[in-house]
Amino acid sequence: MSESTTPGKKGNLTGSARKLKDDAADWHNLIQKWERLNDEGSTIATKIVNLGMSKKSDTEADVVMEGGSVKAGDISDNLKRSNQELEEECVKLQDVVDKMANILSKMEKMVQAERGICELEAFQCGEKRAAPLFHTWSTQQFVEVSSKLYESYKQELALKKTILQELAHTANADLSMVYLSSWLYQPYIEDSGKLLLESLLLETGHRPL
Amino acid sequence: MSSAVLLSLHQQLKKCFETLIANKSVWDSELAECKPLMSSLGNLAVQLKALKNVQIANTPLANFPSLQERLHYKLSLAVDAVLGKLAEKMDALQRLRDAISQQVSAVFQFYEKNTDTLDIAGCVSRSAICPSISDMLEWLQDADRCYRLQLVQRRNLLQALIPSDLTLMETAPKRWESLHSASGEERIADALCQVSFFMETE
Repeated sequence: MSESTTPGKKGNLTGSARKLKDDAADWHNLIQKWERLNDEGSTIATKIVNLGMSKKSDTEADVVMEGGSVKAGDISDNLKRSNQELEEECVKLQDVVDKMANILSKMEKMVQAERGICELEAFQCGEKRAAPLFHTWSTQQFVEVSSKLYESYKQELALKKTILQELAHTANADLSMVYLSSWLYQPYIEDSGKLLLESLLLETGHRPL
Repeated sequence: MSSAVLLSLHQQLKKCFETLIANKSVWDSELAECKPLMSSLGNLAVQLKALKNVQIANTPLANFPSLQERLHYKLSLAVDAVLGKLAEKMDALQRLRDAISQQVSAVFQFYEKNTDTLDIAGCVSRSAICPSISDMLEWLQDADRCYRLQLVQRRNLLQALIPSDLTLMETAPKRWESLHSASGEERIADALCQVSFFMETE
């Protein structure tokens, strides 16, 4: 094998090592992008809940003010406007979720590619290569880390999709709050994920030892 | 009345007020930075409460494994992080209060050591630009006590918070705001105005 095994030096990596190192950088970038989208989505989701609440109080006010000085036309105009606004925000949130789905599919491809690398290696060097590609990790370990990260983001995306579907239709304030905090705090993305990513970056030489 | 002692006491008072002015502005800004932290604490309490009130099994989220526990864990971590930052702020406030207290007690010590040479008439006499020594000592003591009390009350509020009492945590931002002592702050500001000419004299 002619692959260079010195990590940290850019440009002289080829083959599997090159691919794994690039993937590590991609993991980092995709996760950062995900976090940004998460913040963006959180702001939109909060807006949706607030609009839903004010809509509810508007319709309640409608009942109270029946026969009052406020014209019915004003209220229905208001309602129309807030409905439109609500729809716009929902479309925005849909857009965020779509982008997240896109990120997840890229993650999935990386996991598959790394599995492929592992199989290729088994084919070329028998069960295990003599020396690790970088510092200490076996190729199998890259696959394990990637799969773990992928699984957590997959579960998180499923959660976000559910939140997207339900958020605007929930009359229960507590449940809306749970949706919002689930969106923001991402219960399926554990701290161990951060550790995995950092060790991946360390192993591939993106972070100095 | 020994003029040397009087001069020295005036200098110490000046130094003490300088410390007070410097620390007051830092104190105010540190305290201002606590406000958003307190409101996120209250916000987290609301979220934890909502989570407690919702039966996840009866919602569209029922299929997500151990969501309640996971979210609770994440929210608790966030609470811890906020409390950690607040504890840092409290330490900073403590250091400021210590600095003020130290200066004030130094002035008082000096005064008490020299009471023989300082007669009452001299201590209570004042001029257009220079307040009397007794007034200035009183203002310093008031300021010292005000900061002392503020710190104890705020720290007490934070220490009384327990994870099981979410209502207590939810109302913490409001109670935090109510600890603000407008009259105490005003007295300190007044005192600083009254000594402004005195501070400028050589």
